[in-house]
Amino acid sequence: MLDKIFTWWNGATIGALLSIKGSSNFVGEDEFGNRYFEARTNRGSYDGRKRRYVLYNGYADASKVPPDWHGWLHYTFEEPPTVQPFKVKPWEKPHVPNLTGTPLAYRPKGSILRGGERARATGDYEAWKPE
Amino acid sequence: MPKAKVNGKEIEFEPGLTVLQVAELAGEEIPRFCYHERLSIAGNCRMCLVEVKPGPPKPQASCALPAADGQEILTASPMVKKAREGVMEFLLINHPLDCPICDQGGECDLQDEAMGYGRDDSRYQENKRAVEEKYLGPLIKTVMTRCIQCTRCVRFAAEIAGAPEMGMIGRGEDAEITSYLETALTSELTGNLADICPVGALTHKPWAFNYRPWELRKTDSVDVMDALGSAIRVDARGPEVMRILPRVNEDINEEWISDKTRYVVDGLLRQRLDRPYIRQGGKLVEATWGQAFAAIAGRLRAAKPERVGLIAGDLQDAESMKAALDLFRSLGVANIDCRQDGSALGAGPRESWLFNTTIAGLEQADAVLLVGANPRREGALVNARLRKQWLRGKLQLGVIGEVADLSFEYSYLGAGAASLERLIGSDDGFAKTLNAASAPIFIVGAGVLARSDSGALLNLLGRAAQTFKVVRDDWNGWNVLHTAASRVGGLDLGFVPGPGGLSAPEMVQAANAGELDVLFLLGADEIDTEKLGDAFVVYLGTHGDAGAHRADVILPGAAYTEKPGLYVNTEGRVQLANRAVFPKGEAREDWAILRALSEAAGKRLPYDSLEQLRSRLMAEHPTFGRIDYVPGPTKAAGFDLSALGAPGAATEEPFRSPVSDYYLTNPIARASVTLAECSAMFSRRAPAIAAE
Ligand code: SF4
Ligand code: FES
Repeated sequence: MLDKIFTWWNGATIGALLSIKGSSNFVGEDEFGNRYFEARTNRGSYDGRKRRYVLYNGYADASKVPPDWHGWLHYTFEEPPTVQPFKVKPWEKPHVPNLTGTPLAYRPKGSILRGGERARATGDYEAWKPE
Repeated sequence: MPKAKVNGKEIEFEPGLTVLQVAELAGEEIPRFCYHERLSIAGNCRMCLVEVKPGPPKPQASCALPAADGQEILTASPMVKKAREGVMEFLLINHPLDCPICDQGGECDLQDEAMGYGRDDSRYQENKRAVEEKYLGPLIKTVMTRCIQCTRCVRFAAEIAGAPEMGMIGRGEDAEITSYLETALTSELTGNLADICPVGALTHKPWAFNYRPWELRKTDSVDVMDALGSAIRVDARGPEVMRILPRVNEDINEEWISDKTRYVVDGLLRQRLDRPYIRQGGKLVEATWGQAFAAIAGRLRAAKPERVGLIAGDLQDAESMKAALDLFRSLGVANIDCRQDGSALGAGPRESWLFNTTIAGLEQADAVLLVGANPRREGALVNARLRKQWLRGKLQLGVIGEVADLSFEYSYLGAGAASLERLIGSDDGFAKTLNAASAPIFIVGAGVLARSDSGALLNLLGRAAQTFKVVRDDWNGWNVLHTAASRVGGLDLGFVPGPGGLSAPEMVQAANAGELDVLFLLGADEIDTEKLGDAFVVYLGTHGDAGAHRADVILPGAAYTEKPGLYVNTEGRVQLANRAVFPKGEAREDWAILRALSEAAGKRLPYDSLEQLRSRLMAEHPTFGRIDYVPGPTKAAGFDLSALGAPGAATEEPFRSPVSDYYLTNPIARASVTLAECSAMFSRRAPAIAAE
């Protein structure tokens, strides 16, 4: 709770929470637990559309929003995935938030952060080891 | 002398030259694909067209046209340019334009000539032809669609290598180069095929897709795989030697090198000793240089000089041997030897252990007796020279020793000492040939000199040489074909037992019997390292081979591509090798290690730089002062043949070549995967297992 009061990046701030909940309808929740809202009227909207909101589950990171909800949030889709689910192609992989900066970040082949394993490079030699 | 005009410039030339050679004398470069100075003339690529007057009003192939007096040769006229452009266009019709993935890219004759004579686009709309790949063994990769049918490879195989297994079949569009049976070429010179192929049809299989020629740093150096000291160019990228190519040296290797010399490069990257080790509680553990020196110095101080031994290996440079010699002599050690094989040479005049006729001098010979030598395995380029002279029809050869396919015909005279004895006594057959010869030559294999009865054999050989007047005032035909690159250098330095000292085999015996406390191996692996008893063994070397396994202290040294050094080849020619890359890991140049050790042992060597060491070496041993010098067969000093060896009875044991497996003769070669593959394929006997 103290997090919520003093930081803005752990979920929504208290002000946002109150104003969103007060003015919007709950639309749905994605597989990561982020919850989505739509304003009841277009009051306060700068382009006449009803504003759409996400309340993050935990740490606020825009890359946590999966593509179907992302499309709805950005008005690409009229209907939310709860009404009109995304067609998932068999080759599509599940959504993963951006992992840069975390221990799971991608390390290219040859990176020394990959645990000492790298491809052979010019000048490498095989040292003799006793026994 | 006849005169000709080349592009209006008058030039005199020796009769018998071709138009191409005359134009070259005049400084004109003629493009060519099939012509090669050292091969017969084929005249089938037509790239060398020139205009010659008087003559028919058409361009002529200059490489196959004898030059005549008063000829006018035009090499850059519009007609010539047009003709060459036509030839180039035809050549490119069936040539795949795959330069970006071709290993010859950047050093391809066709690419280069296309810059001058190629069209900017192709007028050819039809399908190109494709040719199936051919199998030429583990060393040569073929992409036969690229072949332009110059037949250089066929001529090389037939003429120089003496392996007539390649040829051209089919005509016109169906012409293909093939080895007929799709077998590996049986020759020690196959690598040169890739060098002479003007396009990327034949390239080096072990190095495929490894480098681009323009990335490489080129260093001129000297080979140590055999005792010939072939001129090589070491091409490195960063800290890695990528390839080894021949350099032209008319006196030794012309422009060829043997396969071991060329394909040993991957051995330089495997099994490397890159840090000092000390044996503690039966196990080798990593150590610092200081600890290693302290351990050795302690043992050296505790041991009596008579109980210390020093053996030098086959790949050592003269500087490191000199440093080791100075250090151990100052410690009072007399057990010093550079002849791991126990050779009997080393006493007497220098000429007795040299290849006095010189390799180029073999082209003056008219009768050669090979005693216990298989030059194909012990020095492939000596064999190529013998074959060259034999092909001229002026040379007769006799062999005492193993029966082997030497790529030329010879009279087989027997297997051992008795046959030599018989030859001295007889006056017909090969003895007659030798007696009648104006330039008779003996080539003595190192195997003959490394037996228990070598003294007697040497004496017998001396007698034979006297009988057939092999050494005269104006001719020295006494030749020893060494197999170790360091051997002549070692003998020149006097790297032999001092008064009362033990020879290398005796040292091994003494160590086994517990009579030796410290044995210092300077890159010596060809001794029986299993049988060194409890001696404290120090190994200074580059590869984890036999010596390193037995060692109690390992000092990592520099391989021949990693240090500047002087090497003396079997002819007695002193040659300077350069450093191409730096030693691996913590390894250092050998002389510097010995200099540091001398400090720890309390006998500081009086030189702090390689220059100081070299000037001292040259002052004490003047033969080292003349780089790249040999007197040659007619000027080499004669010596007293009767003083060779010691009289005695030789045993009946047949002579044997010391090289039983051409591909695996030293620690570097044994570490090479490529050469191990060759050995498994070509050497009949089971390959020696590389020490792990
Ligand atoms: S393989 Fe190379 S050397 Fe042989 S004929 Fe073809 S182009 Fe010439
Ligand atoms: S070089 Fe003259 S025809 Fe090939």
